[in-house]
Amino acid sequence: MSLFAALASVVFGAMSKDTTRDRVIYGLKVFAEFMVIGLILGWILYFIP
Amino acid sequence: MEDDLVKTERLQLADEVEPTPGSAWLIGLAAWFVPGLGHLLLRRWWRALLMGGAVWVCFFVGMAMGGHLFDLYAEGSSVLLQIPPMIANVGTGILYGVSWMFDYGFRDDPAQAARATYEYGNTFLLIAGLLNYLNMLDAFDVAAGRKP
Repeated sequence: MSLFAALASVVFGAMSKDTTRDRVIYGLKVFAEFMVIGLILGWILYFIP
Repeated sequence: MEDDLVKTERLQLADEVEPTPGSAWLIGLAAWFVPGLGHLLLRRWWRALLMGGAVWVCFFVGMAMGGHLFDLYAEGSSVLLQIPPMIANVGTGILYGVSWMFDYGFRDDPAQAARATYEYGNTFLLIAGLLNYLNMLDAFDVAAGRKP
């Protein structure tokens, strides 16, 4: 999941925004969102039989 | 009256839009065919490395995990169900083509499907293609002068 989040956020970050700084920030934000949402969904599905 | 003005403005804007250069289509095609090549041709070295590299890594990680590539041949399931994942897989361009030529990664092997990483591998292979479609669109936009 971490690798997937990293690869996807690299592409999303690189193709968005105008400055390098904004791209890095956006990439990190997307990475964090992937991780947090993945963990939340993982725990929700863990309790669903 | 106001609607007419809006329509006229739109027509004027449509006339002012510059036509897409033919090279942009070729760059887009190259970006799809070899992940990263489009940005390399545009001399966007970092983008080529990061965006193209992400696709290559995604594809080989997916293969290493025992993922399965989709084509129109389906054993026991509808061909129509194969089309959406196949479209995603085809996004990897030459990587899909070479795998198809050598028939590597297409067969439904029960031992392979039993691996714990099988579905993860499938997902990585699908995502590799979809990310490359984004790369292709980005390279096209840069080549057409719509993006810096």
